Parts: sequence; structure tokens; C-alpha cells
Amino acid sequence: MIQSGTESILPKEQIIEVDEPDHLLGNGGVQIMEAYSEEDISKVLTYAYENEKTVNVISGGTKRGFGGETEKADILLSLKHYTGIVEHSAGDLTMTVRPGTTLKEIDEELAKSGQFVALDTPWPELATIGGIISANDSGPKRLLYGSARDLVIGLRIVYADGRVIRTGGKVVKNVAGYDMNKLFIGAMGTLGVISEITIKLRPLPKFEGLSLIHFPEGSESEIRNFAVSLLDSMMEPVTLELLSPSLAETLTGKNSHTLAIAFEDRQKAVLEQEKWIKENLPANVVHTVIHQEQAQKWWEDFRHIGPNGHNDDNIDAHTMAALKIGSNNLDVLVNLQTAERLAETHHVTIEGHGGLGHGISRIFVKGQPEDIVQFITEFREKVEQRFGYVVCTHLPFRLRETVQVWGEKPAYFALLEGIKATNDAKRILNRNRYIGGI
Amino acid sequence: MFGRKRKIKTSDPLVRKLMDIVGESEVLFEKEDLVAYECDGYTMYKGMPRAVVFVHDTQEVSDVVKCLNEAEVPYIARGAGTGLSGGATPLGGEVIISLVRMKRMLHLDLENRKAVVEPGYINLKLTQSISDKGYYYAPDPSSQYACTIGGNVAENSGGAHCLKYGVTTNHILGLEVVLPSGEIVDIGVEGVPDLPGYDLLGLLTGSEGTLGIVTKVTVKVLKNPEGKKTVLAYYDDIDDASQAVSDIIAAGIIPAALEMMDQVAIEGVESAAYPVGHPRDIAAFLLIEVDGIEAGIDDQIEEILTVCKQNNVREVKVAKDEAERALWWANRKMGFGAMGAISPDYLVQDGVIPRTRLPEVLAEIREISRKYNLRIANIFHAGDGNLHPLILYDASVPGESERASKAGSECLKVCADVGGSITGEHGVGIEKSAEMRFIFTDEELEAQTNIREVFNPQDLLNPGKLFPQPGRCVEVKRANQDEVQLV
Repeated sequence: MIQSGTESILPKEQIIEVDEPDHLLGNGGVQIMEAYSEEDISKVLTYAYENEKTVNVISGGTKRGFGGETEKADILLSLKHYTGIVEHSAGDLTMTVRPGTTLKEIDEELAKSGQFVALDTPWPELATIGGIISANDSGPKRLLYGSARDLVIGLRIVYADGRVIRTGGKVVKNVAGYDMNKLFIGAMGTLGVISEITIKLRPLPKFEGLSLIHFPEGSESEIRNFAVSLLDSMMEPVTLELLSPSLAETLTGKNSHTLAIAFEDRQKAVLEQEKWIKENLPANVVHTVIHQEQAQKWWEDFRHIGPNGHNDDNIDAHTMAALKIGSNNLDVLVNLQTAERLAETHHVTIEGHGGLGHGISRIFVKGQPEDIVQFITEFREKVEQRFGYVVCTHLPFRLRETVQVWGEKPAYFALLEGIKATNDAKRILNRNRYIGGI
Repeated sequence: MFGRKRKIKTSDPLVRKLMDIVGESEVLFEKEDLVAYECDGYTMYKGMPRAVVFVHDTQEVSDVVKCLNEAEVPYIARGAGTGLSGGATPLGGEVIISLVRMKRMLHLDLENRKAVVEPGYINLKLTQSISDKGYYYAPDPSSQYACTIGGNVAENSGGAHCLKYGVTTNHILGLEVVLPSGEIVDIGVEGVPDLPGYDLLGLLTGSEGTLGIVTKVTVKVLKNPEGKKTVLAYYDDIDDASQAVSDIIAAGIIPAALEMMDQVAIEGVESAAYPVGHPRDIAAFLLIEVDGIEAGIDDQIEEILTVCKQNNVREVKVAKDEAERALWWANRKMGFGAMGAISPDYLVQDGVIPRTRLPEVLAEIREISRKYNLRIANIFHAGDGNLHPLILYDASVPGESERASKAGSECLKVCADVGGSITGEHGVGIEKSAEMRFIFTDEELEAQTNIREVFNPQDLLNPGKLFPQPGRCVEVKRANQDEVQLV
């Protein structure tokens, strides 16, 4: 039935019938259609739109557990073969790239010209640039380098009905028309399929250093005061990331609240800032400093924590969840502590980190499914009391029915629905994957 | 009572209704009062508003909007009126909602690096009010002494220092907005990043007042850099200057600002209020500023000096003190206004190009200058490829306004053809709406107007801006001719 006529869309070797059991994370498809070109994407969507077939989109699969109340759509559109850098203009510090390219591939290529994409998102060898942009993923270095919305300057989008629309452009400064790029960043593919990305680049830092400061138990006010004094100084940290004791143990071997403060600049400037840290250290902390390859290696390890869509365990007691918390910058500390406290009472284990200068935290939870649900519910309540929010960036499919992945709908939800209806009136794209069931 | 009624010589029932909302003294409706609102900083097109309403708080904005909706009268939000593309200019008959009286700072939270201001708050005042604590607001359009934060949001304004620090959109954390329905919505005024849901902050910023009226703005504030050094480099050949720009970027330096001016522009600024003593016979100068950690700056300055010398610089110097640096910047920031010293009228353009294409684009602009027999000065945010050709003309010479307008449009075509954009920071407004077709297809324009319909279904809020209008070109020309005859 569904297959009828699909050969005219794509060659049959690009269409795979799925006969495997349901995936733990859902967001699958009855048929996988593999796109090798923008034209392929457009053909699949044109067909789906005309025939009202639902479409899920995937490439690296690292965000398969992020949102979505559909076990299987009619079509799982895979972009993992639509890869490659289309254009790299080193003199303009810009690059145009296809969505299925992994961040690692991109950065390896750019490194040859001494440049990089300033997104330190997790699992770079698995996560693709299209997925990172669609999920608006980010890492601790957004403190200085910004996030996807600060870096993306142009997109090509295949709309639900198969039309190809360009947004933005290829230049770093552009205010012609609405800033349509922004709509697609973090939209979880509900407004169109990103088929090409033009992004700003940065020169690789000349020198990098990482200061790790381990605080003894009960040092909340010392952590806060130190962070405030650093932020109020003229130092320019690339990260001011607070790690939970459990995560610090995994990454540094020390079970204590730890601040990871990175500097990336000319060597003299890095050393000068590290001197500032040393001179302003609170009492009773343990302080270590690493440079260059050692610092890079540490961040490499940091990018390999938490679920990646491929490392879930089928045993109930090992169920994994990941949360993204947005809050006022300094509430990161309070939220992290709340999570630690709730983890104990709810019999789950957590590892967490958050940026005291940028307000985004991540918490990885492990335990029994029902405990995880309870934990998230109570944690969200506490975070919301301080104007923050909790989004579940990874949850097994069946738990997503009981936990609201995105939290409550905002008061202006009608605008979001209106935008969705404008771009995808038949709601074929990633249905129910986004806030309020969009 | 009688006295008051005598003052109000209007038979317009709408004006009376607006007075009921904001108070009698807060509505302008007499022709002589409205003239000042005929245009913004883009003076080639003028239109008469029906009235001007001064609002004082969010509720008043909402009430006024609802009243105008009911009457089906179009309206425009306006700040200081410094916009350079006609975004706040009436086409004729709109009610202008002036936000200049909503000018308070509502909240300052330096620990969390944010401030909440009303839309009429002046850009420079924000920096001045926090500078004693060592903080500043980064976007610095040349009009920053007058322009409002609300207007900056509408236009997604840039400035000389956005090469390193980004434009307005990179510094907006939250907004309160009155929608065209009159509904008041809070889009993250608390300033928490990455709010769940489509990025309405990003969409609204730069929407040129066509999607909603901003009534509160939460902005990011930054700590002053520890050190700052400024370099001035004089070139005999503009291609050498262009190559130096590319080489600085290629060396892995991201200057805070990287500005260029050509010979005609230099003639202007040297004849204006802040002459520096630039040699008149050079082809161009570069103004380069590096900021950041003091200890890292000297190395970068050394590299910049080396790059400049490798590219045949005639003379290059580092500002010896803050006074000299301030003078160089005052001279640069006077750039547009200074054209008044060497030409009766000028038209500013705002194209963007990949910075590596600068030499060929400048050559084409010289060609356009010859073709239309009009002098063109170039002031250039060279680091991010944002070119401001200033077309010098005399509106009292019949036909010269039209020639200037055509020359401006051709400059934008050149920018579009090398893969650039028609506007980097001034917005589309009335001025460049036809040129939107240089970079977008009809389908792509429709994708945008469809979004407008979600917010602004009746198209009463700032209608006729930003998108190509059938027949508009004719209208603009006619307006110009009228103006010329009047003069």
C-alpha cells in the first residue's frame, strides 16, 4: 500500500523496509528513505505531502530520544548520506555544508585552514550538523562563542510540500527581510528539512588552557562568589562550567563540585588569566591547570558523556534520561544542587553540569523508569519556580507519553501553531515532536 | 472643559478616541505638528501621518492598537526616527505610535549580565548608565547618541564593533510585545536562554516593526575589555587596503572593528567637525581596533602592523592615547553626516559582500559612479563585508535624485551578484523593498509574508514595508519629483 509508487520517488536501493522490532526511542518509520541530494529530499516530501504520509527525519540518530510521540511515521527520511562541505571560504570565515555531515568531519577539514565551527556539542563523530542545528544543541563554550543562532547565517530548507526555500544568505551580516534562519534552529524539523547550512567560522585558538577548581563540600557561597567575581573581572573565560561531584569524579577523579574554566587566546593572554584565577582562588580548594593537548583531551572526554541515541540499555534499572535546563545564569548552581538532592530521595543517579555565565545546564539521569519520571516532575517544578524551564532531550519512547518533554505550552502558543500551519499545513513533518504537540 | 474643547480643532473622531486613551496633550493631529513625522532618516520618500500618539506604558500601546484595529486604520511604531531605510515613514494616513516616552530602565542585574529597558531608551544611555561599573551594551550604531533600543530591535541594528560582538539580535534575551491584535505577550522578558518553542525573539528582531510593537527589551550587557588598541593605516592603493583586510582575518585575528574609508569619504570627514588630518591624497585608510586581554593585544597589533606593511601601506600608526583613539572614532562615526560638508544631498547604501570580493565590487562601484556622473564615497565595515556607498547628489538639480536612487540600486545589485545582501544593518523599509527581488525569489518572499500573516493578518501594522509592492517604484519617483518642485 505505502510502497506503491515509491520507486518513482527514489531508486529502490534507497528505500528500506523496516522489519525490526520497535526502537526503544521511537521516532522511526515504516520505510526508511535515504536521501543523497536535496532533490531526493524534495521528492520524498512532495510525495509525502501529496499523499499525507507522516515523515520523521534522522541522520546521526543522536537525538532520536528527543521529543516525539510517534513510534513510527510512514517514512523515516534519512540524511546521513547527504554529506560534504559544499564551499569553504577561509578568507570570509564561512562554510556551506550538507546536513548529514558530522561535526567531527567538518572540524577535521576546517582544521587544515586553522578554523573551526564554534559548537562544542556532544558526540561530534556521530552528531551531524543538520541535527545539531535542528535541535539547537550547544556546549559549555557557548559562553564566549555563542550558540547556533549566533553562527548560522543561511539555510536551504525543503518545505513540507517539497519547495526549496533559501533563508538568510552567505554573508556574515544581513538584515534583508525577516531573519527566517532563526525559525528553523531548534525547530526539531517541524517547519522544514534543512538541506544546506551556511555557518560562520572562527580561527582556531592559538593557545588553550583549562583551570579545574575543586571545591570542598558545603562551598555553595564560595562557588557563587568566585563565579561572580570572575564574571565581574575583565577576564574572558570561554567556559565557566560547574560540574556536579559525580560528573567531576568521572572526568577528573575528584568527587567534588568543580568549576571548569577554559581560556582560549594568545598564550600570553591565557597565562595571564590563569594567573588571575590563581591569585583569586578561594581557600581550601584544589586547583589544577592543564594546557593544549591535555586540555583538548579533557574536553574531548567531556563531549562523550550522556546518552547518544545508540548507548541506551534495555534493562529497566539502567534507563537513561537527559535534561536541558534554561535559567538565570547564577541559578545554575541552585538548580544543580536541587537535582543532586532530588536524585538521592528518588533513587536515581545523576551527572550534571551548567554554565554560570550562560544559564544552560544539562543533567543526565539513570535509574528505574518510574523514579526518573518522578524526579523530572519534581525537578521541573523547582526550576520553574525560579523562571527556568526543563526540556527532556533524551527519554525512552514510552516515558515520553508520561512526561511532558517540553513542559507547558507558552501563552503565545497560537503564534507557534500559526507558524507551523504556514509551513506544514498537513502536519506531516516530525508530527508531535515539538512543544504542545506541534 | 470649554477651553480644552476649543483647543482641539479636529473633526477626526479617531483622534478623539486616541485622546481618550492617552490624554489630549499626547496626540498630534495638526499638519504643522505632523510634518516632523513625514519621514525618518531616509528622506527620499515622505508621507503624511494621520496623527501621532505618544504612549506611556504597555497597556496604552495595547489599547491604542485595539482602537486602531477597530477603526481599521494602519499604524506604525516609531522611536527616534533615525532609521535609514524609511521603516518609520508613513505611506500616508497611518497613525504613528511614538514610543519615545517609554524610556525607563526597568531592571538591571549585572550578576546575570542583563538589563530590562523600555523601547524608547536611548542606545548610548544604556552604556553610559552602566559604564561606571565597567559594563557596556555592545551594538553601537553610529546614531547611538539618539537611536532607541526599540528601534534597534526593529532594525536589528549593527555598528562598527559588531564584527567581534555581533549585531542586536545576538544581544536580545527577551521581549515584551504588543501583537497587532492588541494582545500583550511576554517572550522571555526574564532573559532565560533558548526558550522552548520557535525562536520568536530571533524572528521579531529585525522584522522592521511589521510583526508587533516591542514594549520591553531584555538585553545582554558585557564587561568592558581589559585592553584596547587602535591602528590607523593609510594606503595609496585601495586594492592593497582590501588585501590587508583579508590577510588580517586570515591571520586568525578577529578585531573588534575593522573599518575602511575611501578618498571621497575622507574628503568628507576631513571637512566636517572632527578632522584628524588624514592625508587627502591617499586612496583609503583602515581603522583597526583590537580589544581583549591586555597581555594578548600587543602580539596582535604587531601582526597587524606586519600585514599592513606587507601590503604596501604608506603609513601606519597606533593611537598613542585615548584622546587620539576617540578622535579617530569621532571622525569615522561622523562619516555619513560629514557628506553634508561636500555635497548638498547624499544617499546611503548598505550592501554586504563576502569580504574577499571587495576589490572587484569597489571597481564596479567606480563604474556606476562614472555611469551616473555622481560621486560615490565608500565607508565600509570592511571586516564583515558591510559596504556603505554614499551617493552624493544635489536634489535641486532636476533628475539628480532619480539618478542617485538608480545608482544606489545598482550598487546593491553588484553586492547581490557576488553572493551578498542588499542590507547589512539599515533594513529594507521603503527604500530597498524592490531590491528584495535581487536576492529572493517570489516563493521565498511569500514564505516570509506568510509568516507576517500569522502575526499581522490584517496588515495594519506598518503596511507596505520590507516586501516588494507592485507599482511602488512609480509612487516613489512621483514623491521625489513633488519634493524637488517644492524645493
